[in-house]
Amino acid sequence: MSDEIDFDEILGKYHSDPYEDVEICAEHTGKIRFLVEDGSSVESVRGEWKHIPGTPLFEITRERNPKKFTAMTNGVVASLRSELEGRFVEAGEKLMVIRHPLKKKEIIESILKEVLYIFPAPERAKYFFSLDVQSRIEKKGSRAVSVKPGDEIIIMSLMKRDTPVYYNGEKGVIHSVYFTPGVSVDQGAPLIGVCPADKLPLIQKIVTRVKADWDKKEEHGV
Amino acid sequence: MNNLAPLTAAALNEYVSAIELPGQQQESSPETEIIFRLGAYVGSLIRVYPSLDRAMDKARHHIVSQEGENVSVANGSLILASSLHLSKGRFSRSWHAPPGGLWGCLILADTFLPPFRQLLPLIPGMACCEALHEEGASAASIRWVNDVLLQGKKQAGFLIEGFRSPRHGENYHLLGFGLNLNNDSFPPELEGSAVSLSQFLGRPVNISRFALSFLAKLRWYIGLLLFEEQQWLARTGGGVYEDEHPLLKRWKELSDTVGKRVLFGYDVVQHPQYEAVVGAVANDGALILNHDDGTTSIEHSGEIRYL
Repeated sequence: MSDEIDFDEILGKYHSDPYEDVEICAEHTGKIRFLVEDGSSVESVRGEWKHIPGTPLFEITRERNPKKFTAMTNGVVASLRSELEGRFVEAGEKLMVIRHPLKKKEIIESILKEVLYIFPAPERAKYFFSLDVQSRIEKKGSRAVSVKPGDEIIIMSLMKRDTPVYYNGEKGVIHSVYFTPGVSVDQGAPLIGVCPADKLPLIQKIVTRVKADWDKKEEHGV
Repeated sequence: MNNLAPLTAAALNEYVSAIELPGQQQESSPETEIIFRLGAYVGSLIRVYPSLDRAMDKARHHIVSQEGENVSVANGSLILASSLHLSKGRFSRSWHAPPGGLWGCLILADTFLPPFRQLLPLIPGMACCEALHEEGASAASIRWVNDVLLQGKKQAGFLIEGFRSPRHGENYHLLGFGLNLNNDSFPPELEGSAVSLSQFLGRPVNISRFALSFLAKLRWYIGLLLFEEQQWLARTGGGVYEDEHPLLKRWKELSDTVGKRVLFGYDVVQHPQYEAVVGAVANDGALILNHDDGTTSIEHSGEIRYL
């Protein structure tokens, strides 16, 4: 991680385009029928237990088995591949983009993800800090807890099978925690963001600068 | 008297050849022998102790000490004890393990591919439930994932903990099991929720014979898990496994979970989360829960209690 960060460049990027483009691809092969149009607003999954599905985006039929796919993020549909309507698509084929408007917190997290070492979830499961890490976090806060490769930091829980997860990234302190105990995390989604202890002031500078800049922007109604 | 003394690897082999194999051959496919061969490592080494603090801890210690002596850990090694002094269930819940039950830990090297590894926790509940049926407790059923219930009370519980050996970095699954057999008294906090087989049947059971039946079925189902893995690799070369595993098909026959109204939570005793009706169990073993408002949740981890 570089000590020098061009704040103006990073912030300028988010000012000019405060969206995240989420690509939506076919999850499996089959005949597709779109359920939204370019410009449609879509809702994300919601509810206390994330049990209320998002807006239906498309339906894929394979072997007379139609399956609806719903939005996992809110935003506006763009770049819809309407030429594919009624045709057979392959798994992984790009179908549309959802332009998701970023909030201040998401922008900060997004910038931090570029500068922190992100440790991802090995499988779709529920995650918990190991007892030792949890007790250190409770005593001192996560940013005082350092981790190094080989440390057992997290327990992965899947179907009553609890497996220790060993950290394999850069040595550093736990800056960001992206999971909530007891809530499922998808495979590959970030679990924690780690930064070397001596870079913490730089990270803090990023957070302060983005917050101040965004608050100013909101004050001026930009 | 140590009721577990007759439990040896040779006795298990003999039991499988004389009783379990012919039984499965009558009901199953011609691949029965291959399946038993694939699962034959289960119980290849059996160590019986009069008492231990925790069987899981003993298993960890066994792996570490074997590595220290430059000896490979026999895959499928079993640690059994007549009683445990510091036994506990998940979330450090109370688990009473006096003489009269079957308490232990099976050491499995992690040789399973991910889609099959996910179904591993189903196996001990199935093996126990079938052994109970054979013993005359036909009311035994499985509550997702692997709790075995008799008349709504827990007769057996299982947990699987991962362990990486410190020297060679080999990953193991430690399958801990606790089966209430002839132990017929429970501490007050478990009195209303636990039951032993002898309480249910109204007669004592032969512990070593029941254990052989349970272990033989563990062999069968672990063999079946590996057999299907082998067949799938031969068919497809890998990728996504979307089929209903024969193991899951059988689990559904042994379980009474689907259709029940349940309370769900990751730790359902301390932190119950919501009520729902179990709609189905997905091919990856996940629970599909239907909420009262018509929406659905899919849970891969957590616990339920019947309402």
